[in-house]
Amino acid sequence: MTGRTGKGSAAAEDYTKADDADLLMASGQRQQAAFAELVNRYHRPVYRLVWRMTGGHADSEDIAQEAFLKLWRNPSQVREAKALKGWLMRVASNAVIDRSRKPAHADIDAAVEVSDPAARTDHPLDRAEAAALVDRGIAALPDRQRLALSLVYFEGLSNIEAAEAMEVSVEAVESLLARAKRGLKQALADRWRDLLDGLA
Amino acid sequence: MTTGSGEESELRRILALATAAEPPAGAADRLMARLAAVETTAQVVPFRPRATRRKSWFAYAAAVPLAASLALGIYLGAMGKLDTLLPAAITGDLAMSFDADADLTGVGEAEAYAEEHT
Repeated sequence: MTGRTGKGSAAAEDYTKADDADLLMASGQRQQAAFAELVNRYHRPVYRLVWRMTGGHADSEDIAQEAFLKLWRNPSQVREAKALKGWLMRVASNAVIDRSRKPAHADIDAAVEVSDPAARTDHPLDRAEAAALVDRGIAALPDRQRLALSLVYFEGLSNIEAAEAMEVSVEAVESLLARAKRGLKQALADRWRDLLDGLA
Repeated sequence: MTTGSGEESELRRILALATAAEPPAGAADRLMARLAAVETTAQVVPFRPRATRRKSWFAYAAAVPLAASLALGIYLGAMGKLDTLLPAAITGDLAMSFDADADLTGVGEAEAYAEEHT
């Protein structure tokens, strides 16, 4: 904590070196520059998580925005600044799960068009096909497994951090990861070897 | 988390093939613009209490006959002018007719009975 209040001072413009606690405090004082720095730090991982969770749905940006707007409305919701990333991840993933429970709107235009490379196993996979195949395998996992996998393998959270973000025990995260790995391997069983060989 | 096993390594190689999603260009700017819009629209509207209407004296009109009726009832009751209209239990006739000398225990009757039959 630097004790910065940032009310109208010139220093308020430079938040790049402030820690999350300072930024949260300044955001609570409606300093948009401080909040912009938080956005700069965490928008990408939050967006990536949402994108992964929704299977690349066009609503990803909107859902990621909602998580940040919720923080902006009341930054004091985050009790510990060091848990901010996990908090944002939790809010965003909850928003995704909430949306997935609502009736589908049949928004065909919004859905990402993903070809089904698994349908053809008689030709070597190119990079785009391999990506689409893996994306589909991940998208087919149940929500919680996909979330655990995304947090740990794509966002680099430790199992402990992922457990805090998901508000479950570490053992539960490990169990979700184990099931996610099995599920993914099963989904990609036909091309698993091709995917690995293609990279060799 | 990393076990170092071949299986873990394979999984990581597979996952590395997944699409590396990045926010669309200008996404952060759009977020900040939305945030500014929220800030503008979320301004607090000052609370203005609804003007209270002065109570008309008609509101008290019903209270006057009620109070008068109550006072008259108390007066008439105290004067005993309503005793003929009210049950004796209320007016106190029972208490008034109570004869302190009367033998309510039945002992006297028992004695008389005993005298007659001895």
